[in-house]
Amino acid sequence: MLKVKIKQINPSPLQISLECAPGELHALVGPSGSGKTTVLRSIAGLNKTASGKIECNGEIWLESDGLGTKIHHLSPAERSCGFLFQQYALFPHLSAIDNVVIPLQNSNLSKSERKIIGMDLLDRMGIASLSGRMPHQLSGGQQQRVALARALARQPKVLLLDEPFSAIDAPTRQGLYKTLAELRTDLNIPMILVTHDLREADLLADRITVIDQGISLQTAAPQTLFQKPRNSRVAQLVGISNMFHGVFDSGNLSWDGCNKTFMVADKGKIPPKVRVAWVIPQSGLSVHNNATIDSVSVIVEKMSSLGQIAVIQLRIQDSENTIEWEASSAEVRRLGMVVGSPMHLELDGNQIHIMPLRPINDPRRFIDHQSEH
Amino acid sequence: MDIDAILLSLKLAFWTMALILPFGIWVAHKLIKLNRSRPWLEAALALPLVLPPTVLGYYFLVSFGNTSIFGAPIVFSFTGILIASLIVNIPFAIQPIQRAFEAINPEIREAAQVSGLSDWQIFRLIELPLSWRGITGAAALTFAHTLGEFGVVLMVGGAIPGETKTASIAIYDKVQSFDTAGAGAIALVLLGTSLVCIALSFGIFGGNPNRRRGLN
Repeated sequence: MLKVKIKQINPSPLQISLECAPGELHALVGPSGSGKTTVLRSIAGLNKTASGKIECNGEIWLESDGLGTKIHHLSPAERSCGFLFQQYALFPHLSAIDNVVIPLQNSNLSKSERKIIGMDLLDRMGIASLSGRMPHQLSGGQQQRVALARALARQPKVLLLDEPFSAIDAPTRQGLYKTLAELRTDLNIPMILVTHDLREADLLADRITVIDQGISLQTAAPQTLFQKPRNSRVAQLVGISNMFHGVFDSGNLSWDGCNKTFMVADKGKIPPKVRVAWVIPQSGLSVHNNATIDSVSVIVEKMSSLGQIAVIQLRIQDSENTIEWEASSAEVRRLGMVVGSPMHLELDGNQIHIMPLRPINDPRRFIDHQSEH
Repeated sequence: MDIDAILLSLKLAFWTMALILPFGIWVAHKLIKLNRSRPWLEAALALPLVLPPTVLGYYFLVSFGNTSIFGAPIVFSFTGILIASLIVNIPFAIQPIQRAFEAINPEIREAAQVSGLSDWQIFRLIELPLSWRGITGAAALTFAHTLGEFGVVLMVGGAIPGETKTASIAIYDKVQSFDTAGAGAIALVLLGTSLVCIALSFGIFGGNPNRRRGLN
């Protein structure tokens, strides 16, 4: 188990706490400059300005007080982290196999034993035949596989992945996703992935921590994160399109700018008569030709077809609010939908998720160290 | 042709190169890790580039005029011109090596750190091989530059045949005594040797330098 609780004031503020279990792939997502890579570098010991506590399998890697006094600080070499860099960071003067065996330099193994381990790792990565090539003779994907083999050579206690797929073309990336998924089960160590690609995080991670301006806003399983973001900033960062505002009062949510009220379930955390942000997943939306008791009148404003899926923008009648509805092309045809046609939209109140509304430019007010499972 | 003077110049150039390279590598490696004091140190180390050789020679004479090593005076001896030559060549040795160290992508060093290598192993296995071009460049520059050194060698060593009379001083002497043919012969040897050693350093370790530095 990897436990991280770190704080930093300079050069950029950081306040993060997270835990990652063996075999878990934990993604850190957030906009550029949010501090995701700094977290990873702090775990590896490459960032020397962070204070706090980092513990891996009961071994303390960092322990320092808030004043910056280091009580205990292991060097990167002592931490046993596998680190995968965005630009691979292969040693350009060494062949693929020499790159892979370099972490075994301080082991008691003979040269031939090291080579056997290195070749085995390259074989696992599917590039054993390229072992004698120099880094500049390999493609991006091949270089990243060599880098991954090198990261695993020392049998690390933690695998840290810093946007490892961002410099690689899409088809190669799919292959690397597969390799990573296989490794997860084989290695059974905590793995932390930094990415700005939410789709990638959703596809690979067991849990995601959303980081903004150096602060962890929410940690949750991808499904929970997309359906129940903790606050409007998280919803914005995870790219939820259907986010609206309203006033919540004893179970009733009135929609800003629309004459519409929904019955919404809440855990009693929101005080009465408070302005809130709210989101609704696609599964909570249905569109009909005829009005129902709960439906609102809408006009089709824009239609974009993405192959089998169509994204329809609906404007609520007599309102500025628009809502995005994703449907199959067949469903769109069945409804006879064209731009400008009137429709009726039903929103399932049970699927509405309400969140506290706070200033977006002040994420410090969202500080939250509790993680959701 | 004054063979003794040419051999003395080659001997001086060889010892200058051999002694200054380890120092240059050590200083250049220290310099890239400094922050605040770096510009001042770099300026001090680059001073021999801009100071007239006579100024350096003057300070050398003032500083070491009465100093002896094992009973032998430093000035007007081979040891003296070797020490002076080492001082004059400091910037030529340090700067190419420093540029080579600086060109190594910081991520390469970090990858070595997380691979469990010690600072010494990182230096020996990663930084040194990646800076090889800078080091050979520094070697070629100091060798060729020492061959042509005139002012400071004359000030510190005089022109004692077989001891401190180097090839460039021999050329000067020959021109003074109207022996232009003799001067021309030595000059040609110096020109050829300098050209060959610089061309070797450019040619042997050629190829795409960016690839060698991991910038491809």
